[in-house]
Amino acid sequence: MNAIVLPNRRIEDWKYSDLRNAVDESAVAAAPTAAWTMASVEGAADIADLPAIMPRGEHGAMAELAIAAAKAGPYVRVAKGERAAVHLHLVEGGHGRALIVVEDGASLVLRETVRAADFANIAVEIVIGKGARLDHVRHAPQHDTVQLADYAVQVADGGQYCAQLMNFGSKLARTELHVVLEGEHAEAVIGGAAVLSGTRHSDVTIHVDHAVGNSKSRQSFRYVAGGHSRAIYQGKVTVRQRADGSDSMQTAKGILLGERAEIDLKPELEILADDVKCAHGAAVGDLDADSLFYLRSRGVPESEARSLLIRAFLEDAVTGIEDEKIRSEIWSAVEAALPAAMEPAP
Amino acid sequence: MLEIKNLHVAVGGKEILKGLTLAISAGEVHAIMGPNGSGKSTLSYVLAGREGYEITGGAITYRGENLAELSPEKRSAKGIFLAMQYPVEIPGVTTLTFLKTALNAQRRARNEPELDALAVLKLVRSKAASLNVPEEMLKRALNFGFSGGEKKKLEILQMALFEPALAILDETDSGLDIDALKLVADGVNRLRSPERAMLVITHYQRLLNFIVPDRVHVMAGGRIVAKGGKELALELEAKGYGHWTKDAA
Repeated sequence: MNAIVLPNRRIEDWKYSDLRNAVDESAVAAAPTAAWTMASVEGAADIADLPAIMPRGEHGAMAELAIAAAKAGPYVRVAKGERAAVHLHLVEGGHGRALIVVEDGASLVLRETVRAADFANIAVEIVIGKGARLDHVRHAPQHDTVQLADYAVQVADGGQYCAQLMNFGSKLARTELHVVLEGEHAEAVIGGAAVLSGTRHSDVTIHVDHAVGNSKSRQSFRYVAGGHSRAIYQGKVTVRQRADGSDSMQTAKGILLGERAEIDLKPELEILADDVKCAHGAAVGDLDADSLFYLRSRGVPESEARSLLIRAFLEDAVTGIEDEKIRSEIWSAVEAALPAAMEPAP
Repeated sequence: MLEIKNLHVAVGGKEILKGLTLAISAGEVHAIMGPNGSGKSTLSYVLAGREGYEITGGAITYRGENLAELSPEKRSAKGIFLAMQYPVEIPGVTTLTFLKTALNAQRRARNEPELDALAVLKLVRSKAASLNVPEEMLKRALNFGFSGGEKKKLEILQMALFEPALAILDETDSGLDIDALKLVADGVNRLRSPERAMLVITHYQRLLNFIVPDRVHVMAGGRIVAKGGKELALELEAKGYGHWTKDAA
């Protein structure tokens, strides 16, 4: 591999995620091909190796590196009108590639988990056909490594992409989504939460491109950051020229639990069409003092009141997960991560 | 039960209560009336233990204990309840879950056994029925999207559920139509008992037609400027606050 230049904070898009500071270039260059396992496959999913000719969506800088370096990867395909549920687990880090195709009228529940024990840099192509639906739940556990994942998602007419990104932070963790709504009535509903403690970092960077009109996107993120951690949301929505009737909404909210924690929320709109409905909002703060007093005045001890309010805040982010079993697993992970995030800084 | 002596309270460095003295015994219902800005809500918050209300002089004794040393949750467990003027909306916490959490937290603090979900449900249902609180309300997020009347009803439901020794009602009548007002007053009257003291804070005399107080205090400029029996409320209604506030200024 040629000499690598890692993105760093001087590049606007990587301002909050200085990769050069987190990992050595030589380690990135020497990383092997990542390994995945199919933890479970239900329904009519075809699993194969990556085809010779791959669809290529828009990706970030590090994904290009993964694409160049990864030698193999899984290809999950759900044929026309079929249904399936697949659990994909990244068992070994390195540079990885994967392809997910949900053909016209098909549906797939994709659960993605990561071992996160070593450097990972993956690039995934996702193609959603006409009237097809992908429910994508990504669960990135708490770790202290560098975790990069980049998804290029193409959604055809009437297709739906529903993503839920659950992050518990790592030394540097960045999830990028590049979603192109290519057909009318295509929809992207993207949500998630981060619960961070210690010095962990989580960056979610999203670009939703309304390439044609009458498409719809929703983004909703909830962050809780304790200790010295840092949570980032950068969400950009582009509405292309003549993509009239596009409808987009972005909200991101954060609660700072640690005095030295930081939450950066950056919603952004680029509208080139005339007749659109777009809104965005972002807010970072402490727990609401009125709510806290109300609960305490009714006998709920302060620590319990705080935890009740934080749970209520985060619960909003997981209600979007339709699969009950996955939702309860994710919620257990949230519960497990909360005590450390709520711990007062030493 | 409650003895407030020469109480001075500052909020953000500004003195709001300026030597307030008041004593309430078990079995009594006292009303505090006063114009806006007289310090009524400050008094209710300081009794409930809200942060940011600094006692700069005097003392509050509740059942022989110095109240200032207790956290809001400890005061609650010891039987103090404040029905707030503006109950807080908390999306994401259902009303029933909140009631169970609060009730059991108070019981735990008093070393009483906690109630299981079914026992709480039964108890809440029976109290709710007597206050005309529909069950559907209990399934909604706490106060979230509730009308003014619904919020006040839920405050009274909590009072019925927690059975406090000292209940403070801060402008419980504000924003209520006459039917809701009667219902709320009914709920309060049903809780009158020889063991319980109540402090009803209000701007208007109207509420006192339904909750008839034993004693009435007029508050102005952070102090009690007049006291008397229930007839004082009527006198206030007739003469207006100006009659008393002149003296305070």
